[in-house]
Amino acid sequence: MTDTTEQTPKHDVIVVGGGPAALTAAIYTTREDIETLIFERGVVGGLAAVTDKIDNYPGFPDGVEGLKLADDLRKQAERFGAVIELGEVTGLTDEGEYKRVETTSGTMLARVVLIATGSDYKKVGVPGEKEFYARGVHYCATCDGAFYRDKRLVIVGGGNSAIQETIFLTRFASHIDLLVRSTIKASDVLQAELQHFIDDGKVTVHLGTTTDEIVGEGQFVTKVIGTDTATKKKVEFPTDGVFVFVGLMPNSQFLESTPVQLDKIGFVETSENLETAIPGVFAAGDIRSGATMQIASAAGEGATAALKIREYLDGRSHPIQN
Amino acid sequence: MVKNITIFTTNTCGYCQMVKKYLGAKGMTYEEVNLDEHPHRQAEAMELSGAMTVPVTVVTKQDESREVIVGYNLARLAPAVS
Repeated sequence: MTDTTEQTPKHDVIVVGGGPAALTAAIYTTREDIETLIFERGVVGGLAAVTDKIDNYPGFPDGVEGLKLADDLRKQAERFGAVIELGEVTGLTDEGEYKRVETTSGTMLARVVLIATGSDYKKVGVPGEKEFYARGVHYCATCDGAFYRDKRLVIVGGGNSAIQETIFLTRFASHIDLLVRSTIKASDVLQAELQHFIDDGKVTVHLGTTTDEIVGEGQFVTKVIGTDTATKKKVEFPTDGVFVFVGLMPNSQFLESTPVQLDKIGFVETSENLETAIPGVFAAGDIRSGATMQIASAAGEGATAALKIREYLDGRSHPIQN
Repeated sequence: MVKNITIFTTNTCGYCQMVKKYLGAKGMTYEEVNLDEHPHRQAEAMELSGAMTVPVTVVTKQDESREVIVGYNLARLAPAVS
């Protein structure tokens, strides 16, 4: 039954997450006077905000710093009236016209919820990774790279993020060993840029090399042990630190006990209207099953979701009056 | 009562911006130590936090007790500066 008590704050739209999909959706909804509250538990801008440079977002011929893009998206959303609350959504219940949203700021009701929680970097899942977290094992180059001036680094991964962050970390590190389990999957443009650093001897790429263990002495990391999959022999890489970029995992834990359908990895399944199994609950961006994990796609999905939300609200009762 | 706040940051750190934004929204003043500009203070940040990461926020209370918050951790930051 819907809680209509005066004390429970009511909103037209609550957006869970504050990355490019969320902020773009909020730009669209608030421009149409649809009251919108965004909940972000981490960094406004999401993973885009902690990415050094974004070269493939349209409209920036020379690329754009992730932090700047995130900040500009935030300003644009706030200009039209979006409110960003720093906090976390912990639960979601379908109560018909309203959805009950449990947050770290208390319970709220929303006519529409947009799930745009995105994803975080995956762990590689080897011994030593947890023990040396933030003391030699890192997942954010733009945050922690500065601690490795003139030091050796190992980077694990072969996708766009791994190559982009390897290029970023060359400004600090004396040398980087890049461990790639199979082959490099990054774009040709990034690979061409990486090649300059390989030619300079700053980066050495080890294809077909697994990461098996991160070893340290005392408080800090000293080496990474892997396996050359061609020879099956163990290989060691002396290092001062390890940065891990081996893919993304969905931020959908708070949905596990809800009727929202998740795929086997945990991404949110939606209809072609971006609506989940709960009417009035939509999903957009990296959290959506089938998403392409691109910032431009996330922004596009945010815009699409906003238009679908408007259609949904137009078919419902008049806007709420708090 | 908070006596003073110091934040260790870097230029490119998104989480550092969030800590500054949070404190700014609360009307709190702080000293920022940018480790890109002052790399010699990196060891100080590491000693305080036991970690090689930023942001590191050091909240010193009137009684000189000190709380060190590593990362953008609202669950710890909010009560520390309240």
